[in-house]
Amino acid sequence: MRRVLTLITCAALPVPAAAQTPPAFAEETASAGIAATFAGEWEEMVGGGVATFDCTGDGKDEVLIAGGVNPATFWRNDSPTGGPLAFSAMDAGLGLTKVAGAYPLDIDSDGVMDLVLLRVGENVVMRGLGDCRFERANEAWGFDGGDGWSTAFAAMWETGADFPTLAIGNYIDRAEEAFPWGSCTDNWLHRGGAAGFAAPLPLTPSFCTLSMLFTDWNRSGRPSLRVSNDREYYKGGQEQLWDIAPGTAPRLYTEAEGWARLRIWGMGIASHDVNGDGYPDYFLTSMADSKLQTLKPDAKGPAYADVAWVNGVTAHRPYTGDDLRPSTGWHAQFEDVNNDGLADLFVAKGNVWEMPDFAMADPDNLLVAGGPDGKFVEMGGVSGVGSVAAGRGAALSDFDLDGRIDLIVVNRNSPAQVWRNVTPDAGGWVQLRLAQAAPNLDGIGAWIEVRTRDRVQRREITSGGGHVSGSLGWWHFGLGAADAAEVRVIWPDGIASDWSGITPNARYVLDRAAGVVAWSVD
Amino acid sequence: MGFMRRVAVLALVAVIGGAGAGAAQSAIPPEQVVRTWYRLVLELVRHTPTMSPPVASRSMGYIGVAAYESVATGSAGMTSLAGQVNGLTALPQREPGAAYDEAVVLHAVLSGAVADHFGNTGPTGQRAMAAMTEKFGAKVAAGVSEDVIARSRSYGQAVAAHVYAWSQTDGGAVIDNMGFPLDHTPASGPQNWVPTSLVRQQQAPLLPHWGSNRPFAMPHGAACPLPPPPDYSEDPASQFYREAMEVVTAKAGLTDEQKTIARFWSDDPMLSPTPPGHWISIALQILEKDAAGVERHVDVLARLGMALSDAFIGCWQAKFEYDLLRPVTYIRRVIDPKWEPLLITPPFPEYPSGHSTQSGAAATVLTALFGGGYAFDDATHVDDGLAPRSFASFWDAAEEAGVSRLYGGIHFRAAIDRGLDQGRCIGAHVNALKTVAP
Repeated sequence: MRRVLTLITCAALPVPAAAQTPPAFAEETASAGIAATFAGEWEEMVGGGVATFDCTGDGKDEVLIAGGVNPATFWRNDSPTGGPLAFSAMDAGLGLTKVAGAYPLDIDSDGVMDLVLLRVGENVVMRGLGDCRFERANEAWGFDGGDGWSTAFAAMWETGADFPTLAIGNYIDRAEEAFPWGSCTDNWLHRGGAAGFAAPLPLTPSFCTLSMLFTDWNRSGRPSLRVSNDREYYKGGQEQLWDIAPGTAPRLYTEAEGWARLRIWGMGIASHDVNGDGYPDYFLTSMADSKLQTLKPDAKGPAYADVAWVNGVTAHRPYTGDDLRPSTGWHAQFEDVNNDGLADLFVAKGNVWEMPDFAMADPDNLLVAGGPDGKFVEMGGVSGVGSVAAGRGAALSDFDLDGRIDLIVVNRNSPAQVWRNVTPDAGGWVQLRLAQAAPNLDGIGAWIEVRTRDRVQRREITSGGGHVSGSLGWWHFGLGAADAAEVRVIWPDGIASDWSGITPNARYVLDRAAGVVAWSVD
Repeated sequence: MGFMRRVAVLALVAVIGGAGAGAAQSAIPPEQVVRTWYRLVLELVRHTPTMSPPVASRSMGYIGVAAYESVATGSAGMTSLAGQVNGLTALPQREPGAAYDEAVVLHAVLSGAVADHFGNTGPTGQRAMAAMTEKFGAKVAAGVSEDVIARSRSYGQAVAAHVYAWSQTDGGAVIDNMGFPLDHTPASGPQNWVPTSLVRQQQAPLLPHWGSNRPFAMPHGAACPLPPPPDYSEDPASQFYREAMEVVTAKAGLTDEQKTIARFWSDDPMLSPTPPGHWISIALQILEKDAAGVERHVDVLARLGMALSDAFIGCWQAKFEYDLLRPVTYIRRVIDPKWEPLLITPPFPEYPSGHSTQSGAAATVLTALFGGGYAFDDATHVDDGLAPRSFASFWDAAEEAGVSRLYGGIHFRAAIDRGLDQGRCIGAHVNALKTVAP
């Protein structure tokens, strides 16, 4: 069922009215005060995530950086509006070791952000206490953290549940030394109930997952679970799509339904309606063969076309330097970094660990939409974000609330880096948050639509994906030169709000009860 | 003591009998050392990006020879390959009258050879090799006197070093960009290969110069030539068109059994032990079932490894001589623009079929070793969820491997039939070598 989908069937990418605006970023790692390193050896060859969320109430995202063998570090955002970026280390009760990644989520719908920490060892859910203080809540919420090597996360609220359903992806059996291949451990589905979580349900078969995302791929109103798996370790595996209906056992979509067998080094999922057909498209990071998948026209099921090449986003080898060996992609995320109304694509890159077949100096990508023929154009180098450190997780967030998306990247065995977006000729923008009654205060699973004169932008509100990195804050839309826009929300239960007019270059809370409410720092 | 255990012990005594009576020996039978390392080799092939099928076959050739030679120098009944295969000089010799432990020797030679050939593997492969070398090595050496361990280890390392030095001169030692040239100018004829992959790295064909590598047993890469493929034509009455239509028809009517066959033999790089690894796996299964001793193990694995490696050299020489397009290219151009093969089309020219050439070579060698009517089960892909398949003979399996490529939609009939013929010729060169005395 495709209940609320309107218009647009074109397959070609949208083309902006004006030429591309080159984004510009200034690295402010040292001056911003962030000094954190995700470190370790074999058990830290994957992972290295970051979570961004606001826990001070000033609208600016704080940062939690996974440390691997080092303790995770929390950084309060002290940046003045409009920069420069400034962060302060703070003891938030989150300094656990062996943290691979983290995702923010208001699990108990109390209006205070909580966190899920993915670890090599026991996973931990951390309840927010307010003022950026957290405490362990595994026992209080009946969350069985297990003892695995957790490397992926996704969350949604199933109909009728007060607590979210959490999917956690797991990697290799770390006890295996000489023959670890084929030892992928079970992924887990922690289904939410009235006051906590049920015992984890194994998502069998599991294939060494490095990214997961609950996403409503067919706009049915019920998200499915997309799972990206690392072919390095599975046997008989492939990419997966689980149909997860309330009260029933999860089931895999099949080849007969259109789900084609795809086997890649799946490491990260980024989702966005890139081609404007109303359905989410998926960028999957891999090693030399990243994919951009769009739902095939007239597909009766989850049948996707790989359009990475035709859209210029293969990102298959370094674009700078003389190291021409293939690239290794990790975190990927769509955000409009130059505010031209088209989502751009950031990809963190980095060699797994001294793999001679792959590039060692592997710059992160910033693929800017709206180039000639509608293709993305590589601007990682010219924009200043083309770090050749061994990138892993990342987050794009407007840390200084100037309407331009900034960037933080976690590197393996070298310091995390942060950049401020200083694009001089960026377009207009709007930043939005959702608010509805409990449960699911932040409207995970909703769709936000922003309409300007010539087109509608859509984004699905998700929790998960990327590479062990998640953000929950403002939802950003570039508006280009538009002097007015309208917004509406299609809430997780399928009910659509009315269109409401908004003024560009401002922030709003889209409150299900109160309507569109302007927000300001003061 | 069970029968199999007795056979193993007797074989061990036979090998070491003249090399130092009275010394304590490893509790691990030497053939078990071979089997354990080959198990790791098959995993490393699957998980090392450099290991495309031709490169994997080369490694299997050299590792097989290294293991064989390390055993042959301690056995009166085995003939060295030095002077028989191209470029191999006399191997280091053992100290006369000194005691060696065959298991320790084999562990040393195989740990060295595997490290030499899989240096490009990732962190997990490196960790696995280290665990095998140290932890399995400790088990192998347990109970053996220190002087015998030192001597055996040193000797195994010397053999590995000798074979590795030899391998460096064959033309296939350095693999850049996983074998895909960074620059490639394709031929422009309508019959010529063009890229079929959406992976950017695969816009140039894999290893275009592999056919000029030095083979093991045949004199050069063109020693087993095959006739040209049918003349290119888009005329529906032509042989070429008819062969393309055979692929189209096969795809349209694939049975479940034919799909299973296509996937059973697909053996994609990075997702399987590759086609040469599949045949090594078959040999290992048979050797285990037969409770074969160490001499038999290293003889079979060396001969098969050399045959597979030579097959890829001969096949690649022909592939780039004829530079023929793939069925997907022709069919979409001439017959059906929306046609899709069942399998992923490999990124190199079509004629002849690599699966067919190497399977023909493998069947030729294994038939000589085990006999023409040797029936066996092949459980290579059980871990991948593919059930074992049964074959009445090695040629039964080779022919199924060949036709699997037609079912998969990636080869025409001529490439399969003539590929098997080419393999027969290549295997015969290996069969002519003298190794274990009958």
